[in-house]
Order: sequence, then C-alpha cells, then structure tokens
Amino acid sequence: MSMLELRKISKSYGQGANEVDALTDIDLSVERGSLVAIMGPSGSGKSTLLTIAGSLEEPTSGDVVIDGVRLSGMSRNDKARLRRRSIGYVFQDFNLLAGLTAVENVSLPLELDGVSLKKARSKGMEALERLGLGDRATNYPDQLSGGERQRVAIARAVVGERSLLLADEPSGALDSLNGEAVMRMILSACHGGVAAVVVTHDAKLASWADRVVFLRDGKAVDETLPPPTPEELLAPDVPNPA
Amino acid sequence: MDDFRLQSGGRPSDGGLPARRAVMRWAWRLFRREWRQQFLILALITVAVAATVLGSTVAVNDPPPKDAGFGTAQYSISFDPYGSKAQTVVTKVEHDGTVQLIENETFSIPGTINTYQLRSQAAHGPYGGPMLSLVSGHFPSSANEVAVTSGVASAFRLSIGKTWDVGGLDRHVVGIVQNPQSLLDAFALVVPGQVANPSEVTALFDVPRNDLRSIDKVLQANVPSSTVSSPASVAASNPLNPETISLAALVLGMLLIALVSIGGFTVLAQRRMRSIGMLESIGATDRHVRLVVSANGTVVGVVGSILGFIIGFAGWLLYRPSFEQSAHHIVGMFALPWLVVLIAMVLAIVAAYFASSRPARAVTKVPIVHALSGRPAPPRQIHRSIVPGIVFLVAAFLLLGYSGSTGGGDGNGGAPELLLGLVLLMPGLILLAPFFLSLTERVSRRAPIASRLALRDLARYRARSGSALSAISIGVLISVIVILASASRFSNVFDYAGPNLASNQIALHTGFPPQGVTIVHRNSKGQLVRVRHHKTETATPAQLSSGAEQIAKGLGGHLVALESPNAQLNGTQGGRSWSGQIYVATPQLLRAFGISASEINPKALVLTSRPGLAGVSGLSMDFGTSKQPVGQGGPAGGIKSPLIQEVSALPAGTSAPNTVITEYAMKKFHISESLSDWLVLGNQSFTAAQISSAQLTAASQQLQVESRNDIPSGSTIINWATLFGILIALGVLAMSVGLVRSETSGELRTLAATGASSYTRRTLTAVTAGALGFLGALLGVVGGYVAMIGWLRSNSLNGGISALANVPFGDLMLILFGMPAIAAAVGWLLASREPAVLGRQPIE
Repeated sequence: MSMLELRKISKSYGQGANEVDALTDIDLSVERGSLVAIMGPSGSGKSTLLTIAGSLEEPTSGDVVIDGVRLSGMSRNDKARLRRRSIGYVFQDFNLLAGLTAVENVSLPLELDGVSLKKARSKGMEALERLGLGDRATNYPDQLSGGERQRVAIARAVVGERSLLLADEPSGALDSLNGEAVMRMILSACHGGVAAVVVTHDAKLASWADRVVFLRDGKAVDETLPPPTPEELLAPDVPNPA
Repeated sequence: MDDFRLQSGGRPSDGGLPARRAVMRWAWRLFRREWRQQFLILALITVAVAATVLGSTVAVNDPPPKDAGFGTAQYSISFDPYGSKAQTVVTKVEHDGTVQLIENETFSIPGTINTYQLRSQAAHGPYGGPMLSLVSGHFPSSANEVAVTSGVASAFRLSIGKTWDVGGLDRHVVGIVQNPQSLLDAFALVVPGQVANPSEVTALFDVPRNDLRSIDKVLQANVPSSTVSSPASVAASNPLNPETISLAALVLGMLLIALVSIGGFTVLAQRRMRSIGMLESIGATDRHVRLVVSANGTVVGVVGSILGFIIGFAGWLLYRPSFEQSAHHIVGMFALPWLVVLIAMVLAIVAAYFASSRPARAVTKVPIVHALSGRPAPPRQIHRSIVPGIVFLVAAFLLLGYSGSTGGGDGNGGAPELLLGLVLLMPGLILLAPFFLSLTERVSRRAPIASRLALRDLARYRARSGSALSAISIGVLISVIVILASASRFSNVFDYAGPNLASNQIALHTGFPPQGVTIVHRNSKGQLVRVRHHKTETATPAQLSSGAEQIAKGLGGHLVALESPNAQLNGTQGGRSWSGQIYVATPQLLRAFGISASEINPKALVLTSRPGLAGVSGLSMDFGTSKQPVGQGGPAGGIKSPLIQEVSALPAGTSAPNTVITEYAMKKFHISESLSDWLVLGNQSFTAAQISSAQLTAASQQLQVESRNDIPSGSTIINWATLFGILIALGVLAMSVGLVRSETSGELRTLAATGASSYTRRTLTAVTAGALGFLGALLGVVGGYVAMIGWLRSNSLNGGISALANVPFGDLMLILFGMPAIAAAVGWLLASREPAVLGRQPIE
C-alpha cells in the first residue's frame, strides 16, 4: 500500500472570470521508503501540490489518501492529529517557532499529541543527536545558522513515528554544501522506511530522488527516473531520456 | 479513518494536558519576547488596576472609620448633659451587658477661640482601645496624672514631666496620646472619675440584640433626645458607599479596556500569523491555536493586574502618611478594600481574556497556507445591519423615558430602569460602530490619496477600528450625558444650584442656643478662672452682631450685614420653584462687592447675579407688612414680572446674596427688613483651621457658620466632563491608532517604496486618528442625546426636553471637533518614521 496517494487532484483559485487552475488532475503515488522529487518552473503548482498532500490545503477535487486514510471528509482536528502523528513538513524558510529552543521545537509535535514532557524531550534529543545537533539543543532558532535551523526542522519532521516527509525547497535558503547535507538526511530517513516528497528547483538535488515528477501549468507533464549521471550517460546500454 | 484513530496509542485526541502545557509555555515565551509590542495593553491594565487599588483605598478610608466613636463596642449612646435620667439608662445597660463610659468636659484654650476636652477614659477599658493610643510616655494611672494630645501640648507648651493645672488640680504630664480615629481630637486624658462637670458622656456597650429593645425603651422614656447608634446605622446614613462607586467605575473602566484590547490582540494575532501557521502545520488543533492567543491575553491580564497591584500598593504606602494628615485619622498599612482589589484584579484578567478570545477565534479561520505566508487575511465584506444597534438605543430610550416619568414625573423611583437604560446604550453604540465606520468609505471617494487610503482602511479593517470606535464613543457618551444633565439642571435660574459660597466667604446665621463650654481666663490677679456657660442663654440681636464681629475679626475678614426683606420672589420654571434667600441691596452690601450706585438702573426692583434671570417671565415679587410678614397668611401686596437687572459683580453662591431687592423697591413698596445673617469676606480662602475656630466661637455665640460646601458649579462639572471625554478619547486613540495602522504596515512599505514622502505617512496617521476621533465623538454625542431626550421627555421636574435648549455649545464643539483635531495633530507629529524594512515582511 502506498504511503501517499494523490488521485485526480485539481485545485483552482478565484471564481468566474478570475478563476485560475493551479493543479489539474494530478495523480501521484509514493511508496514507503521512496523519495520523490517534484520539479517545475515557478507557478507550476509544486508547492500547492505539497500543501494539499500535507493536508494544509483542500483540493478543489480529487482524493488525498495517506496511509490508506482518505482526507476528504476529515475534520480540521482530525487532520491536525494526522499532521502531528504521520506527516513531517519541512519548509524552505525553516518555520521554527522563535520562542522555543531547538529541542522544544522538535518535541513540540509529540507534546501536542499528548506525549509527556519528559518523554517528548527525550525523543526530541534523540532526533537532534542523530542529526548532529545534540549540543545545540537548548539554543533558540535565532542563535543557529541556516543549516542548523534546517536540520532542526528535519528533526522535527521525522521525530516520533512519522511515515511521510514533505519538503518544500528544503535547501532553497542554504548553500550547496548544506543543501546536499539536508538531502542526505532526507534520504537517510527514507532508508528508515519514510516516504518523502521533495519540491526543488535544483536538478542536482532532484537526482537524489527515486523518481522525479515534472509539473508545468498545474499538470504533470512527465514522470521519470532521476537524470542520469555522466557515467550513466556514457554507458552504451542507457537510453537517452530525451 | 478507524485505522487512523487506532494509531492514537490511547492518548487524548487533542493532546490533553501535555499539549496545553506546551502551548501555554510557548504563549509565555512569546509574551516575554514580545512584551514591548503588548506594552500599551499591559500599561493600560496596569494603570487601571493601580488606579483602582490606590483610588478605592483612598475613597474607602477618607471618611472616618465606620467604627469611629465606637471602639470595639457594638453600640453607643451619647448624653448631653449627663444627669440622673441618663444615669438610669446607663444602669439599665450595665444590667444587660458591659459598659464603658467616656466623660468629656469642654474647655477653651485661653487667648484663642479653640477648645480642648478634659476626658476621663479607662486606658485599657473594654471597648475604647481603638480610640486611644500612646505616642510617648505612659497613660495616667492616678488622679494627679494627665496625658495630652500633641495639639494640647503645643497650645499649653507642655512636655512629659511638667506639671499642669487642669480640671482644678495640678497634674503631672506623663504621656502624649492621640485618638487614631480622629487626629483632630484635642484632649487631656485623666483617669475615670476626674471630670467634675462632664458636658457630654458617651456610653459604649455590647448587649444581646434582644436586650437592645428594652434599653431603647428606657432611653426613650428618660432621655428621648438621645438614640442608640451602631457602626451599621452610621454607615447606612451615608447613601454613597465608596466601595460601590469604586466598583461601578472599575466595571466601566474595564469595559473600555476590553474594547481597546480587542484591537490590540487582533493586531498581535495578525503579527503572529506565521507562527500560528507553523504551529498548525505541525499538528496543532484549532483549540491549541485559540489557547495560544487567549493564553497570551490571560498572561497579559495576570501580569498587568499583579504589576498594577504592586504599583498601586506602593503608591498607597508612599501616600499614606500625607493621607492620614488630610483624613485626620490613622489608616492601617493593609487597610485596603480587599474585595474591590480582588475584583479589580480578576476583572482585569477576565477583560484581557475576553479581549483576546475574539481574535483567537478569528485566527483559527485563516487557512494554514495563508497564515504561513504571513499575508494578512483579506478583509471579509461583512454587512453588519444597524438594526440591532438601533433596537438597543430604542430600548434604552424607552426605559429612560419610563424612568424619568416615575414618581409623578420627578424621576424618583425609576433607578433600575435608569441604570438598565444607560447600560443598554453601550451595546447599542458598539453595534452601531461598524455602520459609522462604513460611512468613512463613502466620504473618502473624493479625498486625496493618503486621506482616501486612511479612511478606506478604517472601513476595511473594522475588527480593529470598530472596537476602538466603540471605546471612544462610550467615553464620550458618559461625558455628554454628564454635560447635558448638568446643563439642564444648572441652567434653571429659579431653582439655583451650585456651590453655596466662595472659598473666601463665610455666612453666619442665627443659630440654636450655644453648647455648654467652660471658658478659662485669667483674672486681674493672674489666676486661671473657670466660668461655665450653659445653653439656656438666648442672645439678643446686639449680642449676635457682636458675636459676628468677633468671628469676622478672628478671621481677619470684612463683615457684611445681610438684611432680609419682608418679601419673597415666587415663580416656577421648568418644573422647579424659586429657591434661595433674597436680601436687601444695602449700600454696605453693594460697596462690599464693588458695585457703585451709578451702575444700577434707578427703576430696577431686583438685582441678581443669576445669569438669564432678567429675561425670564413668570416671576413675581410678593411682600408683606410689619404686621403681616410675607409667607404667613399671604402677601400684603405683589408685583408681577418685576424689573430685574443682572449685576455680575454680585456673588454667585446659592447661600450668598445673589439676588437682592433694591432700596428703591424697599421704599416704593414700604417693605420692612430684619437683620438675620452676616457674610464674612476674606482676602483669601479660609483655611479649615479658621473655619473650625469660627465654628467654635459661633457655638458659644448662638450663631451658625456656613462655609463653602463641596457642591461643584455647573461649569466646573461640565468642564471636567468635557476634559474626561477628551482624555478618554485621546487615550484610546493613542493606544489604537498605532494598532490600526500596523494592520496596513505592508501598504505603508509599498507606499514608501513607491516614493511616498513623510507627508503621506503623516497624513495617513493624522486622518486615521482624526476620523476615528470624530466618529467616536459623533456616536457618543448621538448616544448622549438619545439618553437625555429619552429621560427628559417625561420628566417634568427637570423641565422636559426644553431643558436641553441650554446646550454648552463650546464644550460639545470641543469634543466633536477639538478632540479629533488634537488627535490628528498629534498623529501628524508622531508619524514620520520610515518603515525599517521596505522590501519584505520581517521573517520570524
């Protein structure tokens, strides 16, 4: 069973003459342990697709199924519960809560889910230590570098038993070195059984994915394996994707 | 869905206590990080609670303590004089319970008009403890010992260890004492049984309630002029309970604070929109989000109320020493009205919580993606009907009308309807505020760009501006009601109202026989001689005049004899009859007020300082003869519409000669006169000590002293009410204009980026402040007129609606146009700073 299934997802904004189709009949399925990259030019609907997949936004039509559970008809509170238990979301600009320390940010989804403070902190620390941030746990976001902030955001997205990781331009605000490190972490999470969808502009980072979906004007125009590396291109039995 | 629910692991669906704790922790951290952005609301609550703590403590403690004169006893009876019949009563009380007697004999202080009391009181008696405290030395323990108050010690140059001839005996001064419940109490304390001729005896006692009736019977049978008093009966005689007034002012103040705070918390929630979006994106429910905002409100309320209490209490501790001097009694450090303080603190928290709960609900309706983007949610086009607001105003109008018609048209007996009507006006104004704001959009169409933008924003963001407008209009409403009510009452020149005298005037009237006082003076041999005056003597007119002269001399003032004519003025205006004593315009009186004969119309019958009296119809002057005084058996003659001349130099007080009959009229109608009153004119205001001395002298001269009372003049009330309305409105504007404008800070950045100068920025703020101020003033004035027309239309005592003809035009114009102009000017001056970040929203 797919961890994430998007069935005929359409999204339009505005009404009448002002109506704009952001997404049209998008189908996507992401298995456990796999990493899918979504690419496309600005305004192609990448972020909208991710927010719909993450239950942050309602599609105009179509179904979102997460771990076999359809989101349509779910109450706002049930969706909130789904987000804190199953979905981890990583944003381009980190979206860490300024008033909380790194470990408090990471353990927040667990606390919101009713996990005791001690247990939530312990799990939060574990997640931070896995990402090499154990010594920065008590720092506030504004005391961390961009790369560290994004690592905290990833720790928050994978803490607990999350099975779906959604990342919207996770390396957009980082230099290439930190960007690669972030992708490595996401891939590592996938190796642990997490299904991940990453929106990116960067073809190099997309090459880390198992599959790449190309969007243009709200439609999936292509779905392919990652672009071949130079070595693969030189190999005689590899067909030219173009 | 079932599968999903099974994953919960038995944890509560909304996260339970751990989730709430996490959210509260974040709210607290936000408050700590961003307290500056909440400074206005915090300051508002802090000041309100501090003012309530200090104000109510002063108000409650200003009157003498409720047990003043009772000590720890439940009841007291004062006997004056103390004879065998009084002794019978005391014997009865002793039979039923425990009694402590305090005996006083009043002595004059030689060479002055001041007195002191020789007092016998057991220092450690059963009840009198709170009425006696030792400052230094010790209490007298034998007949040859005396303790004195510092005032007596000063007057007689006494100190501990000296010997003093008092009460016919040389006594050693052994201590300095005071009455903590009345620091003005000047006395010399001796042991019981040492006062030979007590002029007054007070019996303090406790008896079971059942025995009180039999004691009262014995009292009425023997000394009917005395009554049994208790702290409760004394308190009940004062209808204005300071605690009730404090609570009423507190509730109104907190309503205004809540209205202002709504706008503040809305903007705060808007500023935190991204953070709230982040919280929602990681799984916070609507309840959690609401908790963030409302917990913030609660934290602000709690911190504000605690800070307010600390500041108010510290202020009280600092002010207490000088307050005790002015209140003339000792007040405990912790003598706060704790119930009022507690209610104030709770109300502050409740007001902040409710003010934040509305934006808390609104913020959960913002889509998460919108919230994450940090963009303000587009204002929703909500059509708010004006019908509910009008329904409230009509209901208030009808209730006030009913209240005004009660008691046969004098408004007595309609207090519940009056209160309810006034309360209903407030939701009426709050519900009408959005409509008034929508008017700004219509007005803005042809305005220059900056004004158009400011006016349009007011209409678009009604959630912020609406609550501020409501607060301003309620402040103005209270002010306008007071102004109109005062104007209608004080404009009645027949039933003249206001202060009785100026502060440099004292009126002397023929009084009751003097109290018993023992005068001490030195004879030709230099020995002290005691002469007891009894109250059976009756003063002759010559003695009265002599007494008045003595008092005027003591005060260093100029004495004016006031001749009362055998005539009176009659008539009714606005349901009220003529009131006030009239006097004769003697040359001495006119001279005293600098009025020369040439200023007076030789044909004028009446001179007056009452403004507008000269042009009023319906007044007649009736006069009697020496055999038939006017008012006793009907007038001997009269004249309708006598020629009245207004002379502003005459005094304006209600007890002063504000209306006098000319000597021309006295001669023409053969009106007789008699001397009954005097007026003492000082060069400056008389002090409390001078008045107290005059009263003591008057008591022995069969005269009564009337000094300036606390009743304010109409113009004083109207001016203060105008100032109150303007200050409330400007205060609310100071706190809300910044919040309203911060809503559109993004637009301000855009304007700055497109080259808008500081002129545009200044205009935006000035127009926002001015328009909001004007609309609030307009709404408040409309509400005020609805209230007053509603009440007066059926109230004959106050002259009906015609009483509103005397509008204090200048004050209303000041509120309607002056206040908005001030607000706009201040807004213009303070709004020149360019936004710090021009290109983008600041990132969290």
